[in-house]
Amino acid sequence: MSEQTLVAEDIIKTRFGEAVEADGRKGYEGYLVKREKLVEVATALRDEFGYDYLSSVTAVDYLPEDKIEVVYHLFKSTGGPSLVIKVDAPRENTSVPSLVPVYPGAELQEREAWDLMGVKFEGHPDLRRILMWEGFAGHPLRKDWREAYFEEEGKPFKSRWPDGHVYRIEDKNPFAKNVDYPAGFDPESWVPEGEAALYAGMGAVDVGSNLRTDHVVVNLGPQHPSTHGVFRMVVTLDGETILKLKPVMGYLHRNHEKIGERNTFLQNMPFTDRLDYLSSMSNNFGYALAVEKLMGIKPPERAEYLRVIMAELTRISNHIFAIGMFLNDLGAYFTPALYAIQERELILDIFEAVSGSRMMCNYFRFGGVARDLPEGVLEKIRSLVVDRLPRKVDELDLYLTNNEIIRARGEGVGVLTPEQAIAYSAAGPVLRASGVPYDIRRADPYSIYDRFEFDVAVRYHGDVYDRYLIRMDEMRQSLRILQQAVRDLPEGPIQEGKPQYQVRVPAGESYGRVEGPKGELGYYIVSNGKANPWRYHVRAPSFINLTALETMAVGDKIADAVAILGSIDIVLGETDR
Amino acid sequence: MDLALLLEWIIKSLVLILILLTSFAYLTFYERKALARIQVRIGPNRAGPGGWLQPVADAVKLIFKEELTPAKAYKVIFVIAPMLTLLPALIILAVVPFGSSITLFGRQVSLGITDINVGVLYIMAVASISVYGIVLAGWSSNNKYAMLGGIRSSAQMISYELALGLSIIGPILLAESMSIGEIIDAQRGIWFLFLQPVGAIIFWTATLAEVNRSPFDMPEAEQELTAGYHVEYSGMKFALFFIAEYMKMIAVSVILAALFLGGYRGPFVDQVPLLGPLYLFVKVFVLLFIMIWVRATLPRIRYDRLMAFGWKLLFPLALTNVFLTAVGIILADTYGPAFLWSIPLMSILAFLVVNYLARDRIATASAQAVSFRR
Repeated sequence: MSEQTLVAEDIIKTRFGEAVEADGRKGYEGYLVKREKLVEVATALRDEFGYDYLSSVTAVDYLPEDKIEVVYHLFKSTGGPSLVIKVDAPRENTSVPSLVPVYPGAELQEREAWDLMGVKFEGHPDLRRILMWEGFAGHPLRKDWREAYFEEEGKPFKSRWPDGHVYRIEDKNPFAKNVDYPAGFDPESWVPEGEAALYAGMGAVDVGSNLRTDHVVVNLGPQHPSTHGVFRMVVTLDGETILKLKPVMGYLHRNHEKIGERNTFLQNMPFTDRLDYLSSMSNNFGYALAVEKLMGIKPPERAEYLRVIMAELTRISNHIFAIGMFLNDLGAYFTPALYAIQERELILDIFEAVSGSRMMCNYFRFGGVARDLPEGVLEKIRSLVVDRLPRKVDELDLYLTNNEIIRARGEGVGVLTPEQAIAYSAAGPVLRASGVPYDIRRADPYSIYDRFEFDVAVRYHGDVYDRYLIRMDEMRQSLRILQQAVRDLPEGPIQEGKPQYQVRVPAGESYGRVEGPKGELGYYIVSNGKANPWRYHVRAPSFINLTALETMAVGDKIADAVAILGSIDIVLGETDR
Repeated sequence: MDLALLLEWIIKSLVLILILLTSFAYLTFYERKALARIQVRIGPNRAGPGGWLQPVADAVKLIFKEELTPAKAYKVIFVIAPMLTLLPALIILAVVPFGSSITLFGRQVSLGITDINVGVLYIMAVASISVYGIVLAGWSSNNKYAMLGGIRSSAQMISYELALGLSIIGPILLAESMSIGEIIDAQRGIWFLFLQPVGAIIFWTATLAEVNRSPFDMPEAEQELTAGYHVEYSGMKFALFFIAEYMKMIAVSVILAALFLGGYRGPFVDQVPLLGPLYLFVKVFVLLFIMIWVRATLPRIRYDRLMAFGWKLLFPLALTNVFLTAVGIILADTYGPAFLWSIPLMSILAFLVVNYLARDRIATASAQAVSFRR
C-alpha cells in the first residue's frame, strides 16, 4: 500500500472512530463498517472524501465463518484507486441498509445481491428478484445452495475426469425431481404477482392535464427487434410519450457467477468470453488482471503490448458495431450496420489468426497470453490501424455525423446530466458523453496504458447524439494507441514462467477492472487458496448502465426509447449473466 | 355500349392486373438485389439462375405458411382489412394510360383501361381508401403495437394527403384538365417536372409517406413497433399487405411519371405507339430505384417530427406552390408564354427560403431541447 492510502487510512479512522475498522485479514483491503453506520459513513465518504462513484456492490458468503459480507467498491470520479468498504451480516435474516438514497446506481446491483445472495437491503425502493423468477427457491449464490443433480463443489468433476467418463449425473437419474419451489408456491396456479405489482406501479400517472387520456402500458420485448436480445422494457405511454419505464431482465440468465465458482481459475478464462460476446478480449483482460493481482505476477513486456493491441482492437470492433446497430435502431435499414460489420470482420480475422477463434477468443492467460502473433499478422494489424481503419472511421463520420435526421433524432434526446451519470454509476461512453472525463485507462491506469499518448474522449451534452459521437472519438483514440503499440511492440517471451493448467492462487480478494468498450468491467475475486475461486463476481457495465435508462427515457417518445437503448449499447450476455 | 367494348375492358383489366402482380413480384426481387448491392452484399442468388426464381419461392412459402388469427381479434374485420388494403392498389391505375392507342384486330385499342375526365380525383379518392385497411387491421388485431401502427398510419396519411393533393394542382392548372391522358398530352413539349420542380418534390415526399416507405415508414417501424399494423398477420393475409405496399409503390411511380415526367411520352412515340409502355417502364424503373435508394440510405424520422414536417413545412410550401403556379399562369397569359418560366423560378426561391427557415428552426429547437430538458 502506498503512503497516500496510509494517510487516508488515518484520516478515515479519526473521522469515523468506532464505526469503521480496517480489514486486517491477509490479502484483504478496505474497511469493515458497522451495519447501523453504513449510510452515515457512505454519505460522509461521498460528500467529504469525494468518493462519489459507487462502482460495484456485491456480497460474499463466508460459510465457514457463518456470515455474509456485502462489499462496496467506491471511487472518486476525478480518478485514483478504490476505497473498499464492507459490511458484515448474519446468514439468517440477512439485512443491510440500502445505499440507494446515497448512490442511486446501487439500485439494480442491490436487487441482484438480494436475488442471488439473499441480502435484504432495508430501504430499497423496489427490492424484487431481478434475474430469477418468483418461483425460484432460495438464493443460488449462497454456498449451501445446491443445484439439481449437484455433483461436487469444484471442477473438474470426478465423474468426468481423470477417468474420462463423459456422462452427466442427470442422465443416470432422469426422472428425479429437479425443480424446487419456495414454500407455498404452486406453479400451476401462479399468476406472476411480480408482473401485477409491476403493472400496478405503471398504471396511474398524473400528467397534470385537463384532457382525460388513457395511458397504455406496452411491453417492448422480451421478443423485440431492437432490444438487442431478450430484454424487456415496460413502458407507460401517453399517446407516444413515455411516462414511465421499467427494465426487466434476466431472460438470458445462466448464473455465470455460480458456474464460475465451480470452475477452476483457468476454466473461467474462456467462460468470460461469453459475457459480452462482442468484446471477449476485454473480458479476458479484466479477469486476468484480477487474478494476477492475487497471484502477484506481471506479464512480460511483449505480452503487455499484445494485450493492449487486442483490447483496443476489440474496442474499435465493438464501437463500430455499436454505431452501425444504433443507426439500425434509428431505422436506417442495415446499410450503415453492414458497412460497419465489414470493418469488424477484418478485426475478427486478426483475432482468428492469433487465438483461433473469431469471437470467443480465450486469448489471455495469467501472466501472459496464450499464443504469440503468427507470421504476417503484425503486418496485417499495422496496415489495418495505420491505413484502412482511420480512413473508414473518417468515412463513417463523413456520411453519418451531420445527417439531418440523425441530428434531429439524437440531439437533446435521452439527456443524462454529469451529476446523474455519476450518481447512477454509469460507465464508459455513457459516462463520458455526459461530460465526465473518467476513463480507467487514465484515472486508475492498469497494464501499460500510462505509456501511451491518447486523450480521454469526452462530450458534454449527455444526449443520444453525444453518445454516438463519443464512440467515434474513442475509435480514433484507440487507433492512436494501436499505432504506438504496433510501433513499439518488443520481442521477447509472451508468458511469465511456464504455462500452467492449474494455477496456485493465494487466499485473498482482488478487484480487477478495465475500461471495456461498454464501460468499467470489473471482476471481484475472492480466493481461499483452493483450486476454485470462492467468490467470482462480475461488475457488468451493460447491466449497471441500465440503471439510468428510466431517467433518460421519461418524457421522450417511444421511438426515442429504442434510440436511447441503442445508444447505451448493451449486450444481453453480460446484462443477464 | 357494345359487347366488343365490354370484352376489351375485361381483357385489358385482366392484363393490367396480371402485369401488376408480376411486376410486384419482380419489384421485391429488384429491391432486394438493389439494397444488397448498396449494402455491400450480393442478395438473393440461390433460387434459379441468378436468383430470378426468388419471387416464386417467396410466393410458395407465403401460400403454405400457417395463417394465425389471434384469439381476441375481431375476426371479420381482421379478414377484411388486408383485402381493403389491396383493392385500391389494384384499381388505382385504371385511369392512367400506358401509351397512345394501337390498332389490334382492326380495332382502335387505347393502351390503358379508361381515361375519365376526373382521373386525378379518382386517384386521390382511391388512394385514400387504403388507409382504412391499415387502421382496421391495426384495430382488429387487438395488439398494442398494431394499434399504435394503425393510429400512426391514419394520422400520417391524413396529414400528407393535403400536401399530395395540393402538389397535383400544379399539373392540373398547367394542363387545364383533370384527365390524366390530357395532362400527359400537355407535356408534349416539356415535362411538367421543369415547370413544377417544387411540386414534383412535394409530390414525391408525400407519396413516400402515403405508401409508408422509408424514411416515413412509421406505421410499420420495425425497430419500434416490431411490424406495426400487420404484426399479427401471417401467411397469405400478410402477403396481401405486402402486395398492396409494393403495388402502391408501382402505382405512385406511374402516377408521378404521368403527372410530371410526361408519362408514356418520349421520342418517336407518336410514330411507334408501342414505344410508349417502354418509356413508361424506364421512368418507373428509375423512380423505383430512387425509392429503394432512399430506403437504404436514410434513418427513420421520429413520429412527432414527421407530423410537424408535414403540417408546418410541406403543407405551407405546397400551398405557396399552388399560388405561385397560378400567378405564373396569369403572367404567361398576360405577357406571353415565356413567363411560364417564372413558375419554377419563384417556386424554387420559395423552396430555398422555406428550407433556410426550417434549418434555423430545427437547430434552435434541438438547442432548446438540450438546455431546457430537466
